[in-house]
Amino acid sequence: MKALRSSALRLSIGYTCLGLAALALFAAPLWYAWRVTIEDSRMDILQADAQRLTDVFQHDGPEGLRSFIAERIGMQIANERLLLFTDPNLKPLAGNIGAWPANVPVRPGNYTLKLTLDGEPTTVALVHDELAHGYHLLVGRDIAFYVPLERRFWYALIGAVAILLTLGTLGGVLIRRALMARIHVVRATVSAIMQGDLAHRLPTQQMGDELNTLSQSINRMLAQIEQLVHGVRNVSNAIAHDLRTPLTELRVRLEELLLTRPQPEVAFAEIDAAVADVDRVISIFNALLRLAEIDSGMRRSGFITVDLAEVAASAVDFYQPAAELKGSHLQLLRDGPAPVKGDPVLLAQALSNLIDNALKYTPADGHVVVTVTRGADGGVTVTVADSGPGIPEADRAKVIERFYRGDTSRGTPGVGLGLSLVEAIARLHGSSLGLADNGPGLRVSMALGQDTRPIERPAPAAPQRGELQHEPAYL
Amino acid sequence: MKVLLIEDNERVTQFVLKGLAESGHTADHTPSGRDGMFLAASEPYDAIILDRMLPGDIDGLAIIEALRKAGKRTPILILSALSDVDERIRGLRAGGDDYLTKPFAFGELLARLDALTRRAQAETVQTKLEVADLRVDLLTRRVMRGSRDIALQPREFKLLEYLMRHADQVVTRTMLLENVWDYHFDPQTNLIDVHISKLRQKIDADFERPLLRTVRNAGYTLTSHD
Repeated sequence: MKALRSSALRLSIGYTCLGLAALALFAAPLWYAWRVTIEDSRMDILQADAQRLTDVFQHDGPEGLRSFIAERIGMQIANERLLLFTDPNLKPLAGNIGAWPANVPVRPGNYTLKLTLDGEPTTVALVHDELAHGYHLLVGRDIAFYVPLERRFWYALIGAVAILLTLGTLGGVLIRRALMARIHVVRATVSAIMQGDLAHRLPTQQMGDELNTLSQSINRMLAQIEQLVHGVRNVSNAIAHDLRTPLTELRVRLEELLLTRPQPEVAFAEIDAAVADVDRVISIFNALLRLAEIDSGMRRSGFITVDLAEVAASAVDFYQPAAELKGSHLQLLRDGPAPVKGDPVLLAQALSNLIDNALKYTPADGHVVVTVTRGADGGVTVTVADSGPGIPEADRAKVIERFYRGDTSRGTPGVGLGLSLVEAIARLHGSSLGLADNGPGLRVSMALGQDTRPIERPAPAAPQRGELQHEPAYL
Repeated sequence: MKVLLIEDNERVTQFVLKGLAESGHTADHTPSGRDGMFLAASEPYDAIILDRMLPGDIDGLAIIEALRKAGKRTPILILSALSDVDERIRGLRAGGDDYLTKPFAFGELLARLDALTRRAQAETVQTKLEVADLRVDLLTRRVMRGSRDIALQPREFKLLEYLMRHADQVVTRTMLLENVWDYHFDPQTNLIDVHISKLRQKIDADFERPLLRTVRNAGYTLTSHD
């Protein structure tokens, strides 16, 4: 009974039954039409024939009809027809039957009955007319002529059913076998993956069917999972590395204090440094927690309308002194409000991270330009372009990875989570980070969907949640 | 200032109690939420420091809600190991006045506590702020030191306004970030120091007595006292 559980077999049985039903639906009306039209028209023809003979009788009398019939039989026009013309006493006057058939009633009408003609039993359709003066006319036809035709119809029908059943069964078995073969491949791949080898993929073809499309989807999912798992692995390694450094320093510092027991001033300076080490560890932790929080997608519930132009203006304003201090130029280009649906805190953080990064890598007298533009469709794109060394195209995907820092930047303070945090924020907002060449420099852009609602507040420093405005004395 | 500390971690409790005593404040302490709620409802405190997660009996947020429902307006500072923005919002929505994530620096805690109690005292609408000979008119947005007009950028004005409202108190960098720039995240820069030094250039540079001072390991304060 296990075979019955196979979906392929069930499918082929279903299709076979459907085929049989279709055949029956096709045959039944045909059979009915055959019966009605052929038999009815057969009677009609016989009646028309009888009418013609009656006309001859009325016109030319018994003798005329007798010679007419004799002539027709003689010329073999009568064919397979039965003709009999008798006097009122049923004595044959003309025709191709020797005597009045015993089982034909002596009453005018249409009959279909069995007769024995020339010693052979057969079925005959008959029209019996009573003519003037009691003469009788019998016009009939041997319908045994149609029997082989009907039989052939039935044979064809049975043959069709047999072919359908055979093909259905065969098809079911073949489909099942093909399906099982492909499912087996999927199962083998999946169990290989379950054993920990995430590199496996399902085989796919270029021009594929539904199963192929499914395989492609699964492969994309696998790629995503593999990337996530690698991400986690990389993050674990990176955490181990990035946390180990300050923790090692901290441990050394404290142990040294314990061993050397220096003068209070020296000891306090060391303790100060130790607190700074701990703060570094905490800030790495906070950045990671923030990333996890963003990745979980839960922040999406707090989306409100945010004017990205204002967020950018605020961030540029915040970083202006840093640019001045370095002797580089920080500039904002905007044209009117740019409303988007989003989390104001995260968008502000993304902008500030991007500007911070750009300023960090821009040399003195360099330029950082922040642009907020509104597209024709209402979507908003924010771009931060710098004139720093840029990022080689091959490394662009890597900089978004957690903890990655370009070789040139080693030694620059920072956790190395900056761009990946921005990327996570962009992803949360249904966007992605575009990295391009600014010739020279890097151009990072983030395209956000439009928000059709008007901005409720004209120009807050950075639009924020009402709950956070807990400083009425200041506001 | 009399403070109630509801906190179950002994180490943190010792740290906070010692710090408060050194700053000249008195404090009661209980590790139990139930006792804490009883104390808060019956004794007059200037502020309450409350751990968000207490073992067993009552959740910190439930205590806040109960106190607020009973009509107690004592400022409450929530301490929590939960750093999510959503947790922060829940705490403030329940009726907390400020939220500080563990681990924290004592200077940060004290500064925020000061800000809370001061705010509770002076809820009146002010249009003119004054510290020594530095005067700010909030309506005309005019800033004067002595008889001289000082021109400030809008953001510098906001920064000065916040410092003046919290005159003689320590304000931390985080407090400035949150209240002047509305940045509820750590931008990992020392830019606040740069903004402060720019402001200092304008209001202090040409004058004998500096008003805007740096407090080591804590933040800044705007004060006329020495």
